[in-house]
Amino acid sequence: MRLIQGNEAVALGAAAAGCDFYAGYPITPATEIMEQMARILPARGGVFIQMEDELSAVAAAIGAAWGGARAMTATSGPGFSLMQEHIGYAAMTQTPCVIVDSQRGGPSTGLPTLPAQGEVMQARFGSHGDRVAITLTASSVLSAYEVTARAFALSETYRQPVIVLLDAVLSHMRENVDLPEITPVPRETAASAQDRQPFGDNPFVPFGEGRRTVVTGLAHDESGLPKTAGGKAVERMLRSLEERLRHDAREITHFQAYRLEDASVALLAYGITARAAHEAVDALRQEGVAAGLLDLQTLWPFPDYLVQEIAERVDTILVPELNLGQYVIAVQAAVQGRCRVVPLGRADGDLFTPEEIAAAAREVQDAKGGIVHA
Amino acid sequence: MRKDPLRVRLSGRGGQGIILAGTMLAEAAMQDGLKVVQTQSYGPEARLGASKSEVVISSRDIAFPEVLMPDLVLCFSREAYQKFGRHVSPGGVVLLEQSILKDVPDAQGQTLPLRDTARELGKELVLNVVGLAALVAVTEAVSRESLRAALTHRMKAEFLELNVAALEAGFALGEAVASRA
Repeated sequence: MRLIQGNEAVALGAAAAGCDFYAGYPITPATEIMEQMARILPARGGVFIQMEDELSAVAAAIGAAWGGARAMTATSGPGFSLMQEHIGYAAMTQTPCVIVDSQRGGPSTGLPTLPAQGEVMQARFGSHGDRVAITLTASSVLSAYEVTARAFALSETYRQPVIVLLDAVLSHMRENVDLPEITPVPRETAASAQDRQPFGDNPFVPFGEGRRTVVTGLAHDESGLPKTAGGKAVERMLRSLEERLRHDAREITHFQAYRLEDASVALLAYGITARAAHEAVDALRQEGVAAGLLDLQTLWPFPDYLVQEIAERVDTILVPELNLGQYVIAVQAAVQGRCRVVPLGRADGDLFTPEEIAAAAREVQDAKGGIVHA
Repeated sequence: MRKDPLRVRLSGRGGQGIILAGTMLAEAAMQDGLKVVQTQSYGPEARLGASKSEVVISSRDIAFPEVLMPDLVLCFSREAYQKFGRHVSPGGVVLLEQSILKDVPDAQGQTLPLRDTARELGKELVLNVVGLAALVAVTEAVSRESLRAALTHRMKAEFLELNVAALEAGFALGEAVASRA
């Protein structure tokens, strides 16, 4: 049993997953991830670099991945905005890497030390063009450890940048935990990759190990060569990846369901907000309100099947989040009228208290049958 | 009998070691075999401003990590008292650095010469350890042995001797309050 901070858990989870390269630029509330990586990596033969900014931090992580490393960077909102260009580059070049964003109040420099969940949509749509955007989040120190390790595994399987969203409270919070052992996912060997194309649905093979290739952000086909008329190939590869993610949705989607079986009001929450929602469920149940909680760890790809399944059973899904209504848009799109979807947002740098969420759920319950305008 | 869950709020100026004190308290509670969550809140400034660190200690899983109504409050500065120190649960304990009374004569709580005690030990910096030890002596929030162990674990070796002295001085201050009660 150890007392560990959220950011420390991220670093330990990365190390357990085989991370051997970190490039970053310090920013509250993510700085401790960098400090820990600076301690951990050199001691085990890895590489740690403090870069001049966040653009170069992702660029270095991408280069390191192509050099054979398992690479990570971490930042907060202002840095995450700067990273978008290269996150898109990592997506286009199918480069496995992990990007952690500990969310603080925004926009701009905002509230450096206070929590927010304002980058949920940015994680999905922040860089231009179409891409998938596997995005995970955590609501406890232990899950911050597990989710970070999982991000490495998913980035390897789908050879995409995977984003881990934390927030200022979880990053700095300490809990006593027993950290489970984690085995890094094995990487494809050069020999097995020899006869396969370097891009598309083929496994990731670093420079110098597989075929000769080029890595470019320009449109290219499975061979990697840029082609003026490469649009069709880009769309084909993207659709194929989307299809794989849809097929694997039940394995990719991690969540915790709490008292949902017979619920009429489902709280759909993620990250630190799920902690308050958990307590709200207990309070509501004591008053006889059949409330339950879906605590999502996988935010993107959106778990349509799961949310639709719940929407069939409940009257209302209430979506508390530390923004003025982001993820609720995706929930509404998935639910498509199967039940009411009610947003509950705040962006003032405070957490929702359990009572605030419970009060909103009570209101929803009282207004049952009426129309609630989002 | 210790409340379960027990909610503790430590507060003061940024730079007074509030977060380290919270971390040591949480670690001591862990040594006592309990579940803990420690959170912190401070502004963008490197020093000063009002800072707080909260610890929830329980025999069960802890969902909401922050403290809305503390059972125990320790406060080192006027600004922190005005921002964080005014609320406490019924039967709760508030320990205040006594100089707060100069600015807030009607401040509610037990006042102790925490800062003067730290200065007498040679460094005002150990105020956090003096205060935390006094709080533990008054309330038995965690065992003294566990707090000693947590201090040893979390403190840099070069500052350990001074801080152990601060810990014992804080225990003595707290005992005086406890016997007064």
